[in-house]
Amino acid sequence: VQPPEKPLQAEEWNKLREDFQSPERFEEVMLNSMIRCNSPIDVAKSLLTHLAKRNGDIAYNVLVKYLALCVQQGQVSEIRDVYDVMKGRFKVLESGAYNLLIKGLSSSDQWRMALTLLEEVEKTTIPSRTCYESCIKAASRHQEMKLAFELYHEMLAKDVVPTLDVLQSLFDFSRGMKGAELQKELFGILLYLRENQIYPHKTFMRSIKLWFESIPGGNWRGHLTNIKDSGQCPVCNHQLEDSNLTEEEYSNLSERIIRDVIHGTDTFRKTSPQEFEAFQTFVENRLPFDIVIDGLNVSHIKPRKMQCENLFDAVNCLAKENARLLVLGRKHMLTNSSNWKREIMQEMQNKADFFFAENISEDDAFLLYATLRSGKHCKFVTRDFLRDHKACLSDSLTRHLFRKWQRGHQIAFYPSVKGRSINFLPAFRYDCVVQTTGDTWHIPYKDVFEEKYSYQVPRKWLCIQQK
Amino acid sequence: MQSANMLLRKIVRTSVLPFAAQHGMKKDLLPLSRALSLSLCLKQDKSCEPSEKLDLDAWKKVMKSGLQEEVSETVSEPQELSSLAAARETLEMWRLAGRLVPENITEEQLKTFMECPSKSAKKKYLKYLHLKELYKKNDKRKMDEKRERRLEAQDQASKTDETKKNSFICLWSSTMDKAYNWRAAQSMIFGQPLVFDMSYEKDMSVREVTNTVRQLVLSESCNRRSVDPFHIHFCNFKDDSLYHREFVKQYREAWGKLLITVTDQCYTEIFPKEKLIYLTADSPKVMKTFDHDKIYIVGSMVDKSIKTGVSLARAKRLGLETAALPLEKYLLWSTGAKNLTLDQMMHILLTLKDTADWKKALEFVPKRKYCGFVNTPVKELKKTLDLINTLKLGKRREEVGKQFAKNYPKK
Repeated sequence: VQPPEKPLQAEEWNKLREDFQSPERFEEVMLNSMIRCNSPIDVAKSLLTHLAKRNGDIAYNVLVKYLALCVQQGQVSEIRDVYDVMKGRFKVLESGAYNLLIKGLSSSDQWRMALTLLEEVEKTTIPSRTCYESCIKAASRHQEMKLAFELYHEMLAKDVVPTLDVLQSLFDFSRGMKGAELQKELFGILLYLRENQIYPHKTFMRSIKLWFESIPGGNWRGHLTNIKDSGQCPVCNHQLEDSNLTEEEYSNLSERIIRDVIHGTDTFRKTSPQEFEAFQTFVENRLPFDIVIDGLNVSHIKPRKMQCENLFDAVNCLAKENARLLVLGRKHMLTNSSNWKREIMQEMQNKADFFFAENISEDDAFLLYATLRSGKHCKFVTRDFLRDHKACLSDSLTRHLFRKWQRGHQIAFYPSVKGRSINFLPAFRYDCVVQTTGDTWHIPYKDVFEEKYSYQVPRKWLCIQQK
Repeated sequence: MQSANMLLRKIVRTSVLPFAAQHGMKKDLLPLSRALSLSLCLKQDKSCEPSEKLDLDAWKKVMKSGLQEEVSETVSEPQELSSLAAARETLEMWRLAGRLVPENITEEQLKTFMECPSKSAKKKYLKYLHLKELYKKNDKRKMDEKRERRLEAQDQASKTDETKKNSFICLWSSTMDKAYNWRAAQSMIFGQPLVFDMSYEKDMSVREVTNTVRQLVLSESCNRRSVDPFHIHFCNFKDDSLYHREFVKQYREAWGKLLITVTDQCYTEIFPKEKLIYLTADSPKVMKTFDHDKIYIVGSMVDKSIKTGVSLARAKRLGLETAALPLEKYLLWSTGAKNLTLDQMMHILLTLKDTADWKKALEFVPKRKYCGFVNTPVKELKKTLDLINTLKLGKRREEVGKQFAKNYPKK
C-alpha cells in the first residue's frame, strides 16, 4: 500500500481500510509502509487519532511502529510523548520499544534520558549491543569519556560484544584530549583487539592513527606500511613478534587438542584407542619431525595428475636439507591401484616416515598431534583450514591459541601456477595481531568492507612510533 | 472496591468512548466527529484540505484519559514482582509487539523458558510453543467442525430412519486389532528380530528424545500392520530413563501390552555377534541386499545438529559389522542429510523384507531429498540436474550456455 501524502480524515481512513484486503492488519501494514517511505509524521498522527477515536485504544505494536517512524525522523518531543503514553498504559515495555527509545533519545539533546532507560532495561534483561552502542556514542559525543568507558566496561562484563563502530567512536571523540587515564583506556581497547584477534578496518585504523597523532605532547607518528616476509617493519625496523606460544600455552594447547579433538566425546568417533596408542608409540619412537604432511590432502593438489605422483613431488620438494618428514595417510594407499602405484609408494617410504591410519579414521587429528609433539619448530602441510578441529575446542581462549599456532606452523600451497613443480607458502614468521613495545604500536588492518575469511590475515599494517 | 475498580478498568480498556462520554470527554470527541462528517459533506470535490481542522494529537489525550485511575491503583499493588510473574509480563508484551509467542503458557513451560541459556534459545523455545499452540487450536477447530457435520448427518439419517441390513456386524477396528496382534504375537516367536539401540539418551536433548519416541511409536505401529512383522527388540533400555517416561506418556497403559521385547541387555548379549549388522549412514560399507538371516540394528537417535560418527563409533567399539543404505546408488540425491527418520527406516526395511525391491523400498525416502531414481544412466540425470539447478539458482548460467552452444552449434 502507498501511504497518503497528507493527514486524512476518519472517513477517508475508514474507506482505505475497507478497501484493504485484510482490514484487521491494515494499521500495521500502513505504518510499515510509512516507515519505508519515510512519510511525514502528521500522516501517521492522523491515523493514530482515527484509531484512538474508533477503538478508544491503540495497540502496542502500532505504537511501537509509530515510535520507529519518530526515531527515524528524529522527532524527539514526539518520542518522549510516546514514551509517556506507553509508560502509562503498560506496566513494562519489551526490548524492541526500549531499543527504539534509546536509539531515538541518545541522538538528541535529551541523551541522558536514554541512560536512565538503559538502567531500566538492565533491571529485567541484558540490554542489546545496539542499546549500549547508542548510549556510548551519545556519551562520547558530549565529551563524557569517563561515562562512555564505564558503559563500555559494563558491556564487556556482560559478555555483550561491542561493534567496531563503538570502538571507533571512542577513538574519534577522544581526539586531542589529555589525560593519562583516558590514554590507558584507549590502549586497553587496542589490547582488546589483540586478545580477540580482531583486525580494524581502514577507517577505524585512520581514527586510531589520528588519535595517536593528536595526543598533546605525545609525539606519535603513524605510517602505513607492508611488513616484510622476515617480519621486519620497513618504517621503524622493528622486528614483529613471532607466533610461538609460551611453554605453558603450548602444553595447554597440546593437552586440549588430545582431549577435545582426538578423543572428544568418544575416541571411536575419529579413531580407536588401539589405533591411537599405536600411533603414539610410532611417533614417540621417531621424534622429532620437522614437517608433518597430510598425505591425502597433498595428493589432490593437481587433479590431472596421479595422486601418488602429487604426493611424490611434494615429498621431494620438502625433503631438502635433511628435513625429517612424516606423511600421514590411510591404509587404502597401500593397495596397488590406478592412483596409488606400489613402486612409487615404496620409493617415498625411503625418504619419509609413513603412518597409515584405518580407512575410516580421521588423519587430521593425527597430523595435529604429531606436529605438536615434535615441538615448536615443527611445521605441517595441508590445504585444509582445520576449521572443524578448531570448532571442537570448547573455549574461545584455546581457539585463539590454536589460530595463532596454526598461522605460524601451517605450510600452505602456492596458488597453482602453470609450472610443474609444487610451490609452498611458508608459514608466517611473525604473528599477525595488534602489538606494542611501549613506544611503538603495530596494527594490522583490512581494507574497508574487504571480505576476509577467518583463515586469511591482513597484509597491511599501521606502524606508530613515538619520537 | 478493588474488584469494582478492576472491572471498571476492563471496561475502559475495551471501549473508552462510553467512558469518555461519562467523564466529560464529550466536548472533545463528539463535536469533533460531527464536524468531520459535516466538513466531508461540504467539500467532497475539494479533496484533502482540512488538515488544520484535525487535532493530530488527539490520540494522546485518549490514551492518557484512563490513566489517573490506574496510577492510584498500581500503588496498592505489591511493588516487587516475582521473577516468574515478571517473565509472564514480558511474554505478554512480546505477544503484543507481534512476536511469535504462545497465548497461554504453563508454569512449567515458563520455567523452561527462563532456564534457556541465551536470548536466541528463548526465542526459539517460544516459537516452538507458539506453533504447537497453533496446531492444537487448528486441530480442535477441525474436530468441532467435523462433529457438527456428523451431528447434522445423524439428524438427516434419523429423519429417513431406515436400518440397513448387513451380514457382518460392524466391528472393523477391533477385529483388525486382533488380527494385527495375532500376527505380532507370531512374529515374537518366528519373526526376524530387528533391534533398536536405546543407548543414545545422553547424546540428545529432551526434545530430541521426545521426537525419537514419537518416531518409534510410528515405527512400531507400521510394523504391527505389516503382513510379516519384525520381532522388535528395544535393547539397552533403562527403566525410568527419559525414553521410558516418554513411552509411557505416548502409549499410556498400552505400554505394558506391546508385543515387542524390551530389555536392558545389549544386543551383543542376546544375539551372536557375527549375525549383527549396525545400520548407520556413516558406514563405509553399502548394503547390497537384505539378508533374512541377519539381525539389523537401528540406533534410536534423532540428531538435529547432525553428530557424525556417533553410531559408527558404537559399532566400532563393539566390533560389529556396519552398513549404510545404498541411497547414492539408487537415488540422485539432491538436498538434506542422508540420515532418515526411524519410521522411514522401518518402512524401508519392511518393504525390503517382503519384496527385495530397492526401488519400492526407497520410495519411502522423502521426495524433497532426491531428484529421481537412477534408472537412466547417471550421467544423463546429472546433466538434467545441473540444468535444473542453473535454472533454479541462476548459478553458472554462462557456463551452461557455452556448453549448449558447443553441443548445438548454430548453422
